[in-house]
Amino acid sequence: MNTDDDVRRELEAVYEARKNRFRILVGIDGEDESYRGLQYAARMGANRSDCDIILVYVRPIDQGLHTGGLQARVARENLLSWGIELPGIRYLKKGLSMLVEDAEMDGDWVAEASHTDVQGDPLGDNKTEYRHKDGRSIVLKLKTAPDAASGILDQYELGPYDLIILGCGKGGRGPISSVFAPSVAEKVALHAPCSVFVARKLEAGHGHLIAVDGTDKAMEILKEEARIASRFADPKVSAICIAKTEAERAQAEAVVAKAEAMLKDEMDFQLKATYVRVGDPVKEIVDAGRDYSAIVLGCSERSLFYRMFVSSVPLEVVRRARNSVMIIR
Amino acid sequence: MALNALSSKALTQRMDAAGVRTGVRRFVNIGRQLNLYYFWEKRWFFIALAVGAGLLSVPTPENLSREGLIVLTMSVVATILFVTEPVPLPTVALMIIVGQVLLLGLESTQVAKSLMTDSVLFIMGSLMLAVAVVKQKLDKRIAWLIVRMTGTKTSRICFGISVVSGILASFIGEHTVAAMMLPVGITLITLTSDDPKKVRNLAAVLLFSICYGCSVAGIGTPSGGARNAIMIGYWKEFFYDPTNPETFKFIIDYVTWMLYAYPMFLLQLPLVTVILLFTFKPEYRDLSRAVVKLRAEVEVEGPLKPGDWVAIGFFFLILCGWIFISSDIGMGTVAVIGAIAFLVAGLVKWEDINSGVNWGVVLLYGAAISLGVQMKDTGAAEWVASNFLSLLTPIGADEGIGLWAAVSVLTTTVTNTMSNGAAVAVLGPIVLKLASVAGESPIIVGFITAVSSAFAYFTVVGTPACTIVYASGYLKTTDFLKVGWKMCVMSIIVMLAAAYVYWPLLGG
Repeated sequence: MNTDDDVRRELEAVYEARKNRFRILVGIDGEDESYRGLQYAARMGANRSDCDIILVYVRPIDQGLHTGGLQARVARENLLSWGIELPGIRYLKKGLSMLVEDAEMDGDWVAEASHTDVQGDPLGDNKTEYRHKDGRSIVLKLKTAPDAASGILDQYELGPYDLIILGCGKGGRGPISSVFAPSVAEKVALHAPCSVFVARKLEAGHGHLIAVDGTDKAMEILKEEARIASRFADPKVSAICIAKTEAERAQAEAVVAKAEAMLKDEMDFQLKATYVRVGDPVKEIVDAGRDYSAIVLGCSERSLFYRMFVSSVPLEVVRRARNSVMIIR
Repeated sequence: MALNALSSKALTQRMDAAGVRTGVRRFVNIGRQLNLYYFWEKRWFFIALAVGAGLLSVPTPENLSREGLIVLTMSVVATILFVTEPVPLPTVALMIIVGQVLLLGLESTQVAKSLMTDSVLFIMGSLMLAVAVVKQKLDKRIAWLIVRMTGTKTSRICFGISVVSGILASFIGEHTVAAMMLPVGITLITLTSDDPKKVRNLAAVLLFSICYGCSVAGIGTPSGGARNAIMIGYWKEFFYDPTNPETFKFIIDYVTWMLYAYPMFLLQLPLVTVILLFTFKPEYRDLSRAVVKLRAEVEVEGPLKPGDWVAIGFFFLILCGWIFISSDIGMGTVAVIGAIAFLVAGLVKWEDINSGVNWGVVLLYGAAISLGVQMKDTGAAEWVASNFLSLLTPIGADEGIGLWAAVSVLTTTVTNTMSNGAAVAVLGPIVLKLASVAGESPIIVGFITAVSSAFAYFTVVGTPACTIVYASGYLKTTDFLKVGWKMCVMSIIVMLAAAYVYWPLLGG
């Protein structure tokens, strides 16, 4: 009983300590897009002692039928006996080398490895944490889960995290494919309790375009975006408000003006530009945001059930946009 | 995961402030505990159950018994679950077992007995042998044998890999050889260049040479894959009558199978290399740098040890057992004797076999075959076959080569969405009855189904060899599509030519 309490207290202490840090979880799958997302995370936390970057590669739990009844571990062990690294380890190491030079790693960083058994999978979860003497850390996590989205969402539970960054293939997905075969990014964007950045054709330096609608929640999200953007050396954030009809244009203009003034007064943060467009919110946001590094939206206030089956503006933008999208929670 | 609980915290606070009634509050609390993500992830399980309930509630169609409808419903539900995999696949086996007892009213002992046949014993024994063979670590020597025979030209090495992988896979199963040869392929790739982008096409050619070499070989002998054993079991179960000598031809032994299928495999081997080289055009035409390094690695191993010779001897004895005595004692018995020999000689530990074999798959094949037999016994297979045939009649595909092509296309489609063993287990009863109804040879149609189930070139999950090779991380899912359709067209043409010209000569 005491042991349980001790563990709980220890976990609470870890959670409490992590609350003061900016923790970014980056999903790595070996594709270029995920590494672009990692570079974005690196720019956000570059040499800042309050930022931890956690790289996670999710390996699906072996389904014996796919390998004809021979466990995939037999092939995996054979690869290791040849001195060949497994793909997940290879991808994570590449990510690490993008964050820290090998020479630097020898000096100021301390590495610690740990293993967690996963029921039904002998390889389990493996973690190596590299901790810098100034407090920041980089974690490589090789995780086993039924699928990539479940693994990333499970990892959040071990967090918490401020931001999840995921690479994603081309956008422009239709509603039917999204309902029946949602991408990993869509699943995580729908269910994650923290902000999610979906990296797609990500080019840094073009700034963020945030959509605002005048509600209190939108203003809070705008502040959060300003806080995140401030982590970059040269933050460039523009705001847009969509009026559904021409008659609402004046109201939308008032919204962006209010947003700009609020950021200036409360955070001394200057928006780069403000826009108003008239039309369908999803179409207009996707269109206006195509030249930016990322489109930023607040999480929908609709229930999870509604978002899963009917969708919402942020999720629709994630699906249809051809460039990166961040959903702030 | 109580992800949705976080967002409803504010709602609870608002309810507290507004003094909302206890009943409503309880309802909202239940809603908070419901894990929508769980239901979303398992949606195909619930959809399958709903489809099953819907099928069971419709009036029984004409010419189909109530039991036939139940078995058909179970097959449809199992197929949805095989394809979508919302639950661990052995769960589907357990559901089939329980369904036979609860829905069909069969004795549980009878159902339990139907789970273990010689085909299942053979699958189990082959898997144990697969682990034992991989553990012998003969792969480096095989690699060196290949490059000694082929030289250092990329095209020759690819052909050599396909030939050696194929010949081995035709006897000991494609999964075994894919697991053994994968390090060989990756070593040749990484010794050529450390940068995967510079050897993208070379990696594709070498790795596809392994997996497609294994895939085309899996049909060569009964021990090449579980699907072959399943079809042999179905032929015996569906058509063999000990009192009727006319039906003795439906006992297909090891050699008979090889006579039908092995020439097809040999014919496809050079075509595999040609298709791969034309599709991917490797960046390096010569791999001499990698071969020199590989030779240095193999030399460290030293000469073959006594244990290696014993393992090779066992392998040939098992092969002889399958060829010469399996018709008397069963192929499953030979496979199990082989596994016993490796264990007694201390060449493999039981712990390695225990952790290397997915026993759930053995259970799954047992349950799928048991359901297939029920498809026959209840008349469900014949009913589906008759209806399928009536669909084929208007397009002239109800007999001869048209019917064979239709069966091949159907099997190829199904096998690309699930494992090839499961595809044969599901389709076998239907196509064999289809042959009977159409007046075609069940042996030829059965071979077309078993052979076509190897044409899962389009997807990663189609064949065990593809799944194992894909796990290396060097291939993309789109690569399978890019080359898979060419392989599929080639294999279908070769198979239909064999069915039309060669198989009738064997009395099929």
